Amino acid sequence: MKWWPAVGISKMLTKKEEYISKNEVKKLKLFKRSLHLYMIDVGNSNQLNFEIHALHTPRYNIHRFGMYFAASPRHADLLIVLGRPTKKMVNPLRETIRQMPDPFGILLIKGCEETGIDPEKLDLPNVVATLEGCPSAGEILGALLKISGRVD
Amino acid sequence: MKKLLGIHRNEDEFSFIVQENGRIFVEHGNEKNINDFANSKLILKRDEMIRDPLGEEDVEGEGVFDFRYGPVTSGVGEAGIYHLFTYGERILDVKIDTSYKRRELDLKMKGKNVNEGLRLAQSVCGNFTISHSLAFVRAVENALNVKIPRVSELLRAVALELERMYNHMYVISRLASAAAQLVLSSHLQGLFEALLVVNEKFSKSRFLRDFVKIGGVAFVPKNNSLNGIITEVERISNDFSDLFERSLESRNYVDRLHSTATLKAEDAEKIGLTGPSLRACNVLEDLRRREGVYATLETITDEEGDSLSRMEVRAREIIQSAKFVIKTLREIDDEKPINDSIRVEDSQGLGACESPSGSVVYLLNLKGGKIEDVYISTPSVFGFAAIAHSIRENIFTDFPFAVESYGVNFADAAR
Repeated sequence: MKWWPAVGISKMLTKKEEYISKNEVKKLKLFKRSLHLYMIDVGNSNQLNFEIHALHTPRYNIHRFGMYFAASPRHADLLIVLGRPTKKMVNPLRETIRQMPDPFGILLIKGCEETGIDPEKLDLPNVVATLEGCPSAGEILGALLKISGRVD
Repeated sequence: MKKLLGIHRNEDEFSFIVQENGRIFVEHGNEKNINDFANSKLILKRDEMIRDPLGEEDVEGEGVFDFRYGPVTSGVGEAGIYHLFTYGERILDVKIDTSYKRRELDLKMKGKNVNEGLRLAQSVCGNFTISHSLAFVRAVENALNVKIPRVSELLRAVALELERMYNHMYVISRLASAAAQLVLSSHLQGLFEALLVVNEKFSKSRFLRDFVKIGGVAFVPKNNSLNGIITEVERISNDFSDLFERSLESRNYVDRLHSTATLKAEDAEKIGLTGPSLRACNVLEDLRRREGVYATLETITDEEGDSLSRMEVRAREIIQSAKFVIKTLREIDDEKPINDSIRVEDSQGLGACESPSGSVVYLLNLKGGKIEDVYISTPSVFGFAAIAHSIRENIFTDFPFAVESYGVNFADAAR
């Protein structure tokens, strides 16, 4: 038998990194240990989709923080809205929010484009944070850590 | 064979954007010429519904229903809909609705100056930023006869190859995770993130935003960061080629891809498919072959035209692009990378670029210092049409392998 965990630790395969978000967020104080996420694209340029894909990669290893991507909004605590909604995506967005079980939160990431409708004007419920522009995966993780109450 | 990529209409005059032997050109004609090409209806209706241009009849029969997949599902990451026509297991037809993602960027460009137009062009598809901005600036530069410095030509090519590398890595990691090859896909995702870090070192943006400018590029990266990039790209390429060799030994993986969504070369050309998916059908077609900086580049092809071939072409292109990036970065001199003396005059220009998934083409009309009119042809439209054609007779579990192997994006198709 090989001692893989010991080998991994000795090689320091995971770099120590700090994930810092400058954005103000409301702490949910509802979810103490884990955060289940559901992501919806409402018309961003795909850059944010790729950042979310990057968040799945071993570099960030989000499972160690108890964060998981759920396959349905009905299994999620936090809805991540990517981009500024196109006209046709407003209704699907509202329907997705209706499917979220209480209590839930919404994280808006607006993206760098000036297309579509400003999501803040849609009067969405339980918005816990709004990130302007195209944050990197590390910055998104910083915001998620703040929301889950793991950092101040 | 001639491939139709776009139809631009100006009252009764029709301009047909055509690709043949690695060259893009415009043929003028009238309404009657529309029927010369099999895919013209697909192009004219691309914003309503994309469907198989080589078999337009609706599928009917006992138990056949429309399974609507999207716009909010965890399987389809983007805001788009696949209408799958099926009676349970076999997929009989697919129609693809991209209208939920339509941001009307080409309409927004009208009346803007060329720099604002460039910003909108790179917003079309965040993971094809360089491809779209390069096609746009080439259209402007061709219209105004601008000569660009040699160093910026090299840097643009490097940026394009970096974009190709991370996009191909993304596609292959998605295929690996669809086949439940979790160790392989974790390794590939790690390399994907490493490539985004390389992008940031090279251009100060993880997705190479704002690097290409009209007349050249924004800046020349410093020498010490270039050396760091070369070592990192070398490492990624070596790690990837090792993983790729090992992945082909896994029967579980190869069996899922082999003979899935097979496309014949003749059909692919009729549909208007370009890029690695066409090269996987054994067609030598690559816009880079006619560019000076790519003089020694060999076009990579494969024979079968199925998902496995498409994956293999992409994998070998990653290794090839890495070699090109390393070789080219060693030639970079520190000179002024941009030609500032540009005066916008009334003219028309055509610009094209070999993006990671095929040809991106911009046809621009400039008038009074502003963009009067623009037509954008994107590879994902034809990629979706090829999915609709090749998925027929495959079953539901083949769906992710068919879709991911073409490397298509709703953002790119919907503009």
